Amino acid sequence: MFKELDPILHSQLRLAVMSLLITVKEADFTYIREKTNATAGNLSVQVQKLKEVGYIDVLKQFKDNYPQTTCKITPKGIEAFEAYVQALQAYLKT
Amino acid sequence: MPEEKQLTEQESLQLITSMIQKVKGGYHENGTGPILWGTVVSIASFVTYLQREYLFDLPFDIWLIVMAAIIPQIIMVRKERRTRPHIKYEDEAINAVWIVYALTIFGLTAYQAIVPEVSTNLLKAEGWQMMKHVLDNSKPDEVLTPFTPSLYSIYILVYAFPTLVTGITKKFTPMLIGSGIAYTCFIISLYTASKYDFLLGAVTAITCWLIPGIILRRRYLAQKKANV
Repeated sequence: MFKELDPILHSQLRLAVMSLLITVKEADFTYIREKTNATAGNLSVQVQKLKEVGYIDVLKQFKDNYPQTTCKITPKGIEAFEAYVQALQAYLKT
Repeated sequence: MPEEKQLTEQESLQLITSMIQKVKGGYHENGTGPILWGTVVSIASFVTYLQREYLFDLPFDIWLIVMAAIIPQIIMVRKERRTRPHIKYEDEAINAVWIVYALTIFGLTAYQAIVPEVSTNLLKAEGWQMMKHVLDNSKPDEVLTPFTPSLYSIYILVYAFPTLVTGITKKFTPMLIGSGIAYTCFIISLYTASKYDFLLGAVTAITCWLIPGIILRRRYLAQKKANV
């Protein structure tokens, strides 16, 4: 019996964001947008979804009078990501 | 990147791998830190060598330029932290190594400044002192202040350590070569007079920091130009 793939992660942009955030301690929004080639609007919606389920923390602050949004994966996010990768591997082994 | 596209399992794994690869990349510092430290340490070491070789004094201690470099370094670190688009876990580890290195250098400097006088006083309290005795009796004996012979060899050894860690972690060949040269200079310095240790120290600072810093700076400027 296969574990069902996490629907939050099983989406292209959200998975790309999580894969990026698992590699770094934190990253700012512009950097994530640049690496995922997503539009700001689309990325903003997906980041919000990831935040709502507690997979990432989003910190909004001002630096040198400019707004800056920083994203960071949470322990719950790491757990979900690892479970997702394990489930993927189980699917691919068959 | 369209959001709604449903992925196959194979595509998901490929996406994860490609995103991790995108982030990994190379060593993307702007190079100013290594250039700064490579310059001041090599100048201070080389001037000290010249002072000992040609027996002259400067109106100030040349090593004060190394102390003075701490100020621009703090400004650069603060500026870099503000503008850095992401923080990698390995960056935190490397920063920790450089902090330990700075503390070690500070500790060695304190050792060098404090121990001779304290040792002299302790020896006096025990009722004896160190003397310099010329074997052929061509000169009269003179009182010596305790010192660690060829202490700069230890500095060279310490210079190599964070450079090698950074080179290995970042897979940055210029720093790997630099640290290799530093260890070689350390071994040579064990057999040379202490004035030449400063010359070897200058070589170490140039190869460990100045040259890698210039390479990093060139890469950084080329990348910046490409992004315009």
